[in-house]
This record gives sequence, structure tokens and C-alpha cells, in this order.
Amino acid sequence: MIAAVMPWLLVFLMLNLAAGLWRAWQGPTDGDRLLSALLFGTTSIALLLMIAEWLALPTLRSVALLLVMFASILSLAFFGMPEHGDD
Amino acid sequence: MIDVFALVLLIGGCGFMFAGTVGLLRLPDVYCRLHAQTKADNLGLLLICAALALLSESLLAASLLLLIWLLGLVASTVSAHLIARHARAAERVDRGKGR
Amino acid sequence: MIGTLAVDLLLVSILIGLAWQVVRGRVLFRAIVFFVAFGLIMAMIWGRLGVPDLALAEAAIGAGLTGALMLGAFRRLVEIDARQAVSGGLRPSPRLSLLLSLLAGLLVAVLGLAGLELRGGSGEAGRAALDSLHLTGLGNPVSAVLLLFRGLDTVFEMLVLLGAFLGARHVAERDRRSGAAIASHRLPMVGALQMTVVPLALVVALHLLRAGANDPGGAFQAGAVLAAGGVLLTLTGRVVPQAQAGLLTRFSLIFGTLMLAGSGIVPLIYGGVLMAPPGKTAIYAIEAAMMVSIGVTLSLLFSASAGLRAVRS
Repeated sequence: MIAAVMPWLLVFLMLNLAAGLWRAWQGPTDGDRLLSALLFGTTSIALLLMIAEWLALPTLRSVALLLVMFASILSLAFFGMPEHGDD
Repeated sequence: MIDVFALVLLIGGCGFMFAGTVGLLRLPDVYCRLHAQTKADNLGLLLICAALALLSESLLAASLLLLIWLLGLVASTVSAHLIARHARAAERVDRGKGR
Repeated sequence: MIGTLAVDLLLVSILIGLAWQVVRGRVLFRAIVFFVAFGLIMAMIWGRLGVPDLALAEAAIGAGLTGALMLGAFRRLVEIDARQAVSGGLRPSPRLSLLLSLLAGLLVAVLGLAGLELRGGSGEAGRAALDSLHLTGLGNPVSAVLLLFRGLDTVFEMLVLLGAFLGARHVAERDRRSGAAIASHRLPMVGALQMTVVPLALVVALHLLRAGANDPGGAFQAGAVLAAGGVLLTLTGRVVPQAQAGLLTRFSLIFGTLMLAGSGIVPLIYGGVLMAPPGKTAIYAIEAAMMVSIGVTLSLLFSASAGLRAVRS
């Protein structure tokens, strides 16, 4: 039963991801864009974990682990960057 | 039986992820968006990890899922804090320039 | 089956949409964020296609290295010329864009047609490799191909990596960053994050190295994870760039290449064949050396310096 529902849950989460892209597109500040990058990260981790269960590939959990370990690197690199102005 | 429970948890998790996205798109300010999205996404990830832990094949896999969620908490906390700090500093610069 | 099709279609359309937006890049920062998302979707696609080795590498490099590298470059760009950061900054000439896109499209078409032709082929090389897998002592065909069957290609890849680092160092030497604010590890949460993740990265890297023999993993993935840990240390100020490289750093940069090439040349001395496959212990040693080299090279590529020095706090 789970195997039948799983693809649709994946589709739902991916639509969420696509919707988050709109915020990345719109802005208005860079902080908003980075925030949507954070959304991508968390959603990708959830998606990978679900695909790992769906396709019975346990290594994908390690892939999700890598993603979550380094998820904050983008925010760290962003810190202290001068806000360059409106666009 | 476990399948049904896991499915409920999965759907709940996806629902909270959806709530986070709605917060990201509809709230007026970067701080509001940060607040809503981080909290909702963390909870959504918890429910999804719990569901997958129930479905997983071994205790080792379930512990890995727990570790991933804990690290997710740390990562989103630090990221949210840094983004908010940056937004605040940018605000001060804007005010200084008289915008 | 409709569900699976929907998943695949959605993945592909998001990927293409992101790629288009990255290349269009009207607002530079936005394009960078889209590129990071592109990497994440790529990792997911490798997972969906059932290729965990590639997914591991894509996740480690995409999440850990590329995003930070681009943001660092963007930061330097803003310091040099703030106009380029605003939308509509520098635009290439339309003729040049057209020429480049035609060439890129031609390249993709050629590769695609070659790939389609190979499909109808007999796949002999792949089958031969899989058949002789049990002779190598390795269980993971990807590792066997990378290290043994196509070891020469891997030597060249390591040299390319070294070349990229030397190029980056040469370019970046010209403008040293003026000491911009970094997310210091003395900030309360950043310190905790770094203390948790960096040792974990070391453990995960060693696990991937050991697991690469029979399961997905290997030297590249392990090295990329180490490099991401190095990037984390640099970003939090635990480690600072150093203008002069120590002997240990210089050696670790070429250690992997030396071991791999050496393992190919040494059999010649004993009257064997060039690049004859070594035994299992030798494979572990070579992979460990490659992991160290890749980790050091990519970390130094990010900081674009000759070396890194730990900071006593």
C-alpha cells in the first residue's frame, strides 16, 4: 500500500520544492533567497529518504546524511556579505 | 498495521512541509518567513523520519534516520540564526543610508 | 506506474527549468541559489536512477563545495565592482551568446547521438568487466573500473584536479580578501555546529573509504566529504589561509597521484605489465592516499591559498 502512495507523496513534496523556487525568484532580499535554499535542502533530504525507502536503496540515506551535514555551509558563506542593494 | 501508522505519519509530515512552504510564500517579512518555515519544516522532517524509521529494515537504519533529523535541527537552527542576523545588519545599513 | 512517471517528469522539468534560469542569470545571486538547487536535484536524480556512488559524490561536492565556492566568488565580485551584483549588470554580446549556445547544443547533440549508438552496441566491455570482477577482490564495480580497469583515466583526473587548484591559486593570489566578516566559530551556535559536523565528516569519510570496496563509496566520495569539512573549518574561521605551503601540504597534494601512478609503474620493475591490478591491501592504500589528496586539494581550492593554518582560540 505504501509503495502505491509513495510516488504521489514524492510528487507533492517536489511541487513544494518548485513552489519554493518562486520565493527564490522573487526575493526581494538575498536573505529570502537563501531561505528558499534552506527549504530546498530540507525538502531534498526528505525526498531522498523517501526514495531510499521506495526503491530499497539504503545508501541514499547516507546521501541524505551528507546533505544535512553540509546544509548550513551556504548560510555560513553568506554571513557577513554586504547587502548589495535592491533589484 | 504498522504500514497504516507510518502512512499517517508520512502524510502528516508532508502536510507540515506544505505549511512551511505556504509560510515562505505568503508571509510579509523575511523574519516571519524564517520563523514559519524553519519550525514547520523541522516538524515535517521529524514525522517523515519517524514514519520511515517504522518502515525501515533494521535498528541501524532507524538510528541513522534519527541522526539525520537531529543534524537537520542543528543545521536549520544555525542557518536561520545567521540569515536573520544578516537581514538585521542589512536593515541597519539601509536605515543608515536613509532609505 | 503513472506515479513513477509523474515523479520522473517532475524531476526532469524542474531540472531543465533550473538550468535555464541559471544560464539566463539576470540576478547573479538568484542564479547562484538556483545552481545550488540544481545540484540537489541532480543528487536526487542519481538516486532515482539507482546510482548511489554518483549521488554520494554529487551531494558531497554540490552541497559542500560548489555553493560556498560560488558565494565566495560573488562576495569578491561585490567588493571589486558592486554594479555587477545588481540586476542587469554585465551582459554579454548577443552574437557571442548565440555562438556559445549553438556550440553547446552541438556538443550535447554529438554526445547524445554517440550515447544512442552505444545503446545498440554489444556492451562487451561492461560485461567483461563484470565477469572479471571476482578476480579483483572488489565487490563494487564502480571502484573496480575507476581504480583497476581504467586506472589511467583516474591518474589523469587527479592531475586535472591538481591543475585546477594551481590555476585557482594563481588567479586568487592577485586579490587577497580584505578581511571580510566571517561567521566566526566563537558565535555560540556556529561553534557547536562545527564541533559536531567536522568530526562526523571525518568518520563518514573513513566509512565511505572502507565501504567503497564492496558497497557504494570510494576515494572520491570520501575525499569530497573531507573537503567539505575543510570548507566548514575555513568558513567558521577555525582555519585560516596561509601564504606559504608547508612540506606536508605539498606532499599530500600529490600523494594520491603518486600512489596510483606508482602502483601502475612498479609492476614494470618486476617484469609485469604496466598498470597491472594490485592486490587488495594495495588498493586500500591507494584509495586512502587518493582520499587525502582529493580532500586537501579541494579544501585548498576553496580557500585559494597555499596552505591552511589552525587558529588557537
